[in-house]
Amino acid sequence: MRRYVIRRLLQLIPILIGITLLSFGMMHLAGGDAVTALLENQGVAVTQEVIDAKKHELGLDQPFMVQYLNWFRGLVTGNMGTSFVTGKDVFQTFASKLPATILLTLTSIIATVVVALPLGIVAATRQNKFVDYLIRVLSFVGNSLPNFFVALLLIFVFAIVLGWLPVISANIGKTGVAAISWAGLVLPTATLAIAMASKYTRQIRATVLDELSKPYVEGARARGVSESRILTKSVLKSVMIMLVTLLALSIGDLLGGTAIVETIFQWDGVGKLAVDSIVMRDYPMIQAYVVWMAIIYVMVNLAADLLYHYLDPRVRLGGDE
Amino acid sequence: MKSVKWKRNGFALMAVALAAMLVVALVGCGGSQQAGQGGASSAASGEKRFVYGTTGYGPQMDDVGLNPHSAYSGWSAVRYGVGETLFRFSDAMEAEPWLATSYEFLDETHVKIVLRDDVKFSSGRAMDGAAVKECLDDLVAKHDRAPSNMKIAGITAEGNTITIQTAEPCPALINYLCDPYGAIIDMKAGVTAEGNVAGTGPYVAETVTDTEITLHKNENYWGGKPKVDTVVVRTFSDTDALQSALQSGEVNATYGLAYSSYQLFNNDAYHVSDCFTSRVFFGQANYASSVMGDEAVRKAIAMGIDKEGFVKTLLNGRGQPAKGPFPANMKFGDDTVTTEGYDPKAAAKLLEENGWVDGDGDGIREKNGQKLTVRWLTYPGRLELPLLAEAAQASLKEIGMDVQVNSTANHADIRKDPSAWDVYVSALTTAPTGDPEYFFGATCLSDSTKNFGAYRSQRLDELYAQLHKEFDPNVRAKLATQMSQTILDDHGYFFASFLQMGIVSQANVKGMVAHPCDYYEITVDLDV
Repeated sequence: MRRYVIRRLLQLIPILIGITLLSFGMMHLAGGDAVTALLENQGVAVTQEVIDAKKHELGLDQPFMVQYLNWFRGLVTGNMGTSFVTGKDVFQTFASKLPATILLTLTSIIATVVVALPLGIVAATRQNKFVDYLIRVLSFVGNSLPNFFVALLLIFVFAIVLGWLPVISANIGKTGVAAISWAGLVLPTATLAIAMASKYTRQIRATVLDELSKPYVEGARARGVSESRILTKSVLKSVMIMLVTLLALSIGDLLGGTAIVETIFQWDGVGKLAVDSIVMRDYPMIQAYVVWMAIIYVMVNLAADLLYHYLDPRVRLGGDE
Repeated sequence: MKSVKWKRNGFALMAVALAAMLVVALVGCGGSQQAGQGGASSAASGEKRFVYGTTGYGPQMDDVGLNPHSAYSGWSAVRYGVGETLFRFSDAMEAEPWLATSYEFLDETHVKIVLRDDVKFSSGRAMDGAAVKECLDDLVAKHDRAPSNMKIAGITAEGNTITIQTAEPCPALINYLCDPYGAIIDMKAGVTAEGNVAGTGPYVAETVTDTEITLHKNENYWGGKPKVDTVVVRTFSDTDALQSALQSGEVNATYGLAYSSYQLFNNDAYHVSDCFTSRVFFGQANYASSVMGDEAVRKAIAMGIDKEGFVKTLLNGRGQPAKGPFPANMKFGDDTVTTEGYDPKAAAKLLEENGWVDGDGDGIREKNGQKLTVRWLTYPGRLELPLLAEAAQASLKEIGMDVQVNSTANHADIRKDPSAWDVYVSALTTAPTGDPEYFFGATCLSDSTKNFGAYRSQRLDELYAQLHKEFDPNVRAKLATQMSQTILDDHGYFFASFLQMGIVSQANVKGMVAHPCDYYEITVDLDV
């Protein structure tokens, strides 16, 4: 198994080279550059000399491959460069945004599982009863609403009308990660959890129903095993495998940041940073994000594979005897 | 056995990693916060606190930090009450003394400026001629735009007086000194890594980040006693969130609300301060284009765009239809020039007379087999521009023009290719220093950086040469009017509307007033 893990980690190297080159190329094909983006935003005319000098300073006047190789050389020597826009160290900037994203990922995943697991099981065990219909309708609605709409709806109700929760997730006057407040955590977590929990509930319901119709359940019932024991000891194990698959995908997505939610709630995470960087053609920052996403997806998928093996030892890890 | 052991160890490790992630995420998380506490002044402590939400601060605006010698950060220094310039703009955008008391042009290349003698930096150091010289020397050495604007060749200081020598005549020097990059800071106190500085303004920055600036009042401010103890400037990138934060009371005032949001605040609970700025949404004709090379087409576009309708409908009335490049509050502004108004019938007739007719009945005119298609290049960076493109597309269709809109972030590359567009529409602050020379020099001359359409006018170039040397403000205004009229008569440019800048504040906020230059927001007059 150790060999398997090492092999999976080594796969990161070609993945990193491939996707960073691809993203770098796509950004160049898309056109535009950080200098133009900054100057256009201010709407003040500057001389061509100023523009050229700035481009030279940032290395934007060099050929594409030279720019990429310079960046890659920096990466392998532990230097991710400086932001074209802020002039700050890319790694430090990126790292400073990660705790906020990790926190939001954890809270929304926990909220999702806590809500979806019981609802999915209840809906399955009360199939075609009122509770089942109610849960299905709610999960359908939750799944249909886009995140930004849910966010604005929650803000309107809980911040403006009731005044219970703040719009801004951070404590005003404090800065950085220290600014994140517990009250401010509720609405962004709820926004993300509503859509995810809706999806999870339906999946869990379907999986439980599927398991409940299998012969081993019939057999257990015939042997007089109680329904709750069947659920907790047998059915839930199958649900867990499906849940791990969903969680692996969701955690990957969430650790990549949720730009819309982060923007609306002023949540200082990597999603908003990535979108801002793309708009501003801040190549070093975009590349940092790409590297992060590659690592996250490889690690999360690896963790999911290991969990499959743990939950069901019949699942063999690739090449592992 | 090995497998089971690994399994235990592996999952223990994963559990530890998960716990570590949680710890990392939670480190430093603040305590609980009552909703809406951010904006209100604290009655219990007696401390007055003001929270300002703005879309005008952040990396995308290139104005992070307060160091006026870096990019546009001077805007932040002046806007948020940390920095002040030697001269400032009046409501009519004329330069008037601020940290200086007077100036005198000794000759065409020397100006003597007398400074106030009662000003101290927040570092405690007195602001004298030597301190101002140090600051301006650093500005010229480090800033990207200031050297080419001001053309400073040398500065001498003596007591409370400085004398600036320019490399060539620079009649607009005093106006350039009003630009926020001219904010005077204590160079001996230096600039922190975060971009904090010691200025002369009513507020002193305590913390500066990409998203927030916390300020406290400058107890030794020369211009009076600031009334608010703590000011927090917080950036918003989403206008819905900004609007909600004002409604929930988390911010006391806002800058940059969406056009559609203003109607929510037209009531007694809020105050809206408006003014027109010189930021104009305008188009330039591509003279290399076979369609735009025809003056009748250019003139028909000027007559065929419903500027009133655009401002009233798409900008919710928050703008001012433009005639020329400068707003009416300036001496050389819209009240001094004339141009064609919206007249679709006359525009259609003009096209007809010049051979543009709809021969095949598809609603689009043709001439010599060429369709009257106008490729409209613009960008989405300013939300007004795509709206203007849509408005023009609709109104020009009525006179038989097919406007094909290309609104793209890649506009800077496309506009380099004259065969790829017919009209380029952008936003520009035409008089950031209250002086007309800047706009013409940057945009309309034969060798201007932003003359993308290759407009050429010998008369304009000659008038500019006169303007460049003229020191008398009244004569400069007359020359500027003639120049505006020239480009309007040639129909090389059309001007759609001026930006109406607005600050919306809670009704109890006083002294928060929008200014035409867009530089002054938090001042000593602020109170809650």
